[in-house]
Amino acid sequence: MRSRSNLFLIAILALISTPLVIMYVFQLIDSVSRPALGGFLPQTWELGNWRFLWETIDSARPSIWRVTFNTFVFAASTALLVCAFSITAAYALSRLNFPARRFFLAGLIMLHAFPTITLIIAIFIVLQFLGLYDSLIGVILVKAALELPFGIWIMKGFYDSVPWEIEMAGVQDGASRFRVWRELILPQVKPGLAALLIFSFLAGWSEFILPLVLAPGADAQVLATYMNAVIADDMRPDYGLFKAIGVFYALPVIAVYLLFQKQLMNIYGGGTKG
Amino acid sequence: MRIHLQNFKKTFGDTTVIEDMNLTVEDGEMIALLGPSGCGKSTTLFAISGIHKINGGTLHFGDKDVTNLPAQERSVGVVFQNYALYPHMSVAQNIGFPLKVQKLKTAEINARVGEIAELVQIGNLLDRKPMQLSGGQQQRVALARALIRKPDVLLLDEPLANLDAKLRLEMRSEIRRLQRETGITAILVTHDQIEAMSMCDRIALMKDGRIEQISTPTQMYESPASHYVASFLGNPPISFLQAKADASLDLGHGNALPLPIGKAVQGELTLGIRPEHFGPQHDGPKISGQISFIEPQGREDLIDVMLPCGQKLRAIAPSGHGLKLEQDISWGTQMDRLHIFGADGTRL
Amino acid sequence: MNKQKLLGAAFISPALIAVIVFFLVPVILTVVFSFTNMSTSTGILGGEYQLTQSDLDDLSGAGVSDEAITLLQGAGYAMTDESLTAFETEFGKTRADELAQKFPDATFDSRRDMERALKELRTDPLRSTRERKAAAELFRQSILGQRYETKDDFANAVSALNISAADTQPLTEVAYTGWTFTTQNFELLWQLPATWRYAINTVIYVSLTLVFNVTLGLFLALSTFFLPDRIAQTFRTIWFLPRILPPVLYVMMWQWMTWDQGFISSLLAPLGVDRIDWMRHSAVHGWTVLVLINGFVGASLGMILFSSSLRAIPQTQFYAAQVDGAGRWQQIRYVILPQMRWPILFITSYQTLSLLTSFEYILLSTDGGPGRQTEVWALAAYHTALSNYGGNLEYGLGAAYALALVIIGIILSAIYLRFFNFRELVAKPRIEQ
Repeated sequence: MRSRSNLFLIAILALISTPLVIMYVFQLIDSVSRPALGGFLPQTWELGNWRFLWETIDSARPSIWRVTFNTFVFAASTALLVCAFSITAAYALSRLNFPARRFFLAGLIMLHAFPTITLIIAIFIVLQFLGLYDSLIGVILVKAALELPFGIWIMKGFYDSVPWEIEMAGVQDGASRFRVWRELILPQVKPGLAALLIFSFLAGWSEFILPLVLAPGADAQVLATYMNAVIADDMRPDYGLFKAIGVFYALPVIAVYLLFQKQLMNIYGGGTKG
Repeated sequence: MRIHLQNFKKTFGDTTVIEDMNLTVEDGEMIALLGPSGCGKSTTLFAISGIHKINGGTLHFGDKDVTNLPAQERSVGVVFQNYALYPHMSVAQNIGFPLKVQKLKTAEINARVGEIAELVQIGNLLDRKPMQLSGGQQQRVALARALIRKPDVLLLDEPLANLDAKLRLEMRSEIRRLQRETGITAILVTHDQIEAMSMCDRIALMKDGRIEQISTPTQMYESPASHYVASFLGNPPISFLQAKADASLDLGHGNALPLPIGKAVQGELTLGIRPEHFGPQHDGPKISGQISFIEPQGREDLIDVMLPCGQKLRAIAPSGHGLKLEQDISWGTQMDRLHIFGADGTRL
Repeated sequence: MNKQKLLGAAFISPALIAVIVFFLVPVILTVVFSFTNMSTSTGILGGEYQLTQSDLDDLSGAGVSDEAITLLQGAGYAMTDESLTAFETEFGKTRADELAQKFPDATFDSRRDMERALKELRTDPLRSTRERKAAAELFRQSILGQRYETKDDFANAVSALNISAADTQPLTEVAYTGWTFTTQNFELLWQLPATWRYAINTVIYVSLTLVFNVTLGLFLALSTFFLPDRIAQTFRTIWFLPRILPPVLYVMMWQWMTWDQGFISSLLAPLGVDRIDWMRHSAVHGWTVLVLINGFVGASLGMILFSSSLRAIPQTQFYAAQVDGAGRWQQIRYVILPQMRWPILFITSYQTLSLLTSFEYILLSTDGGPGRQTEVWALAAYHTALSNYGGNLEYGLGAAYALALVIIGIILSAIYLRFFNFRELVAKPRIEQ
């Protein structure tokens, strides 16, 4: 009875999962093969799909390596900035007495939910004022700032779960609050910090709208805007090429996911951004 | 070091938790702050340690006024209920941390860690992480960390609450041994009367932010200052009977005890009779009733006696008494151990 | 005490600055910009002062007197060094010299007078009327087409034409090329039929996707909960991937599925179904694909959250239900669902907010098409202000669109605040010093 209803469940799950599985499978197949005209089954091996690795696919486009480097710098810098700002701010909110703490906490929760994308027009103009428009630094700052409420929220959760007594013991042992934070508390929230670092890196790696709007030039192009431009500019879609770029783009994501599945689930389960 | 807390006041926001409290702990003495949860005993402990601010009054360690010193600058060792060991540090690093903060040389730290580890008998565990230790071992590490910098006072916040019954017995005498050997002034916060009585020189029994009575365990047990103190100490607990003082202490329905000699009592009273002072083995004025419950304890039995007036009196009788449920009895009471409390709960 | 406050301030300020610059300021600026006519043509910094021929038609509407307009139009003609030089390059030195000699420093009130003067040329006469008209134009004294960098320069130029001070003010306003404050964005939003279309689209999009998301997420969480671990883990991975794959890549996969030479078309072609673009063929196609694209991503979030709250239900409750003879469906109905009320409510409100405001997947897939039939409010804001094929990016109007979303965002986030036990959250730090 139980196994029969399980089989039934599996059948339904398999059915609704089919589109996704087809997309994943053909994502891989099509990146190294060419289907018959008007069909979808692979006919011949086609390594030319990967030509973007060793040549510029058309004149105006920057090299993929340059773009990949940009993407890495973008993702890594945002992740580091988010982490650096979050570990201090979250600690203050979780543990320190300072004026208007209540107000900051309420603000944090609201910002955590607030749809940042609605601010993009104003941010676009702020960046122009600051002279950071169309530069990687500008997008990095914006992305880090927009991820910050989420990061602080997550880190605050981790700080909150460290027993107060550890902190009290440190103070009693004669250490200053800063030293207590640095030597006693920070080591306890390392797992959270690692999770946030990975999460922010992935978020930066995948980010599309911000670079598209705030840094449209070729110099600051990242993989998302690069890939989008390749797709948009093609008169006749070359899905072999698109998919090869896609695989290239997704490889680090998949690798990070496989390596840090547990930590990531922590954040996706506890946090809710996205 | 003598600890002196004077006119201590503590508020949280608008609520005053402790008002005008005085407490003196003599040098080398171990005192217990005993009371139910919420009575202010932990608050007092945190105020002495420096974790909480003192809103009024003064605190002296010896002659030094430490009222406004932050925790870091007071010389206080604290053992927390959950031990609060630093999970990422080894036992040796945990114990040595207070010295490291004082910027002592590594060699000296190591020497002193070794020394104190021997004292608390964990010399073989120094390389382990706290997670790898049993509850009793963690407790010893916490003690070592609290004692290593030879503080003016050792504060113990419910140190035995997280241990199982057998370990608790062991650590009770262990903590007392350490305190005696180091000669340190110590304050133990606990809600367990047995801990307080067995470990400490004196007990300060607290209620609603006040110290109800402060004296040695024996004194407190034998002459409780109030109804509350009497009820808090003793296991099995004391029985209370409502009585009317006239020519005798009338318990109603024919039961009465003679007036105590040398005490002028009158009107509505509460009598406190401990179970060990009432029973078939005792002489003295009799109280009659019916056995309503027998709880065998091995060496002796606990017996509830229902008086005709509807009040209950508990007795301890040595086993082998052959008593049965619903048997009518009339047993003696040790009058010299009778406690009489007035309407306001104070002892007369 | 002071030290702790100092440390708190030091710890919070980097984040605070970031939040102020990129949250607080943009929120305020969105409000400000929505009351301006800022666009690519006005620029975002200041502007200059310039009257053009076409501006003249609007002048009387702006409250400039007819007299002033006439003055602007026919500011007169004069023999100045500049006009003579211009004349010389066009019509030769002989004529210029003769003119300068005959009418030294002369001024003429109308074009007729100017042309009459030009007829006086004898050595090398300008014969055709057309030539004289062109030549006369060179002597015209006008501020039309002139750029003035500051307000004062412009005012000086205007007063040089003997235009009254009363007319200068409205003239300056018309001449200013930078952005100005206005309420016309909101009037426009109110009047445009497209506005309502976008609002309705948004409602369609949010409600359809939400229902799809929550139902599917709940189904995935429940079904994988009852399955053996290994199988459940496989399905969870399949459904988790859309969450972490870059949106550009994820949507490209859907493009491949749906384009007219894509998977669906190729699969159905042998069955005699016409090859169509399954994403953009009609509004229904568009909406379906959009809901699927967003739904698959949203469902995975629901799945993760619901799964973790499912695991939080004590196993003993299921044993108890089984002992009581409850089947799987009854367990779901009576044990699970009542305890899932909060997670469901949470996901619903949270996703409402993010669906209302995010346009990334729509931008990448249908981009509002076919026509404008899947254009939602947030996408309209983006198109208006940041990606307009017409070329003139209307920041002010876009900000007005965005303002609506910002306000909804603030209201919903304030409601979201209620999900948290705020009292507990602000519990005082336990170390007081």
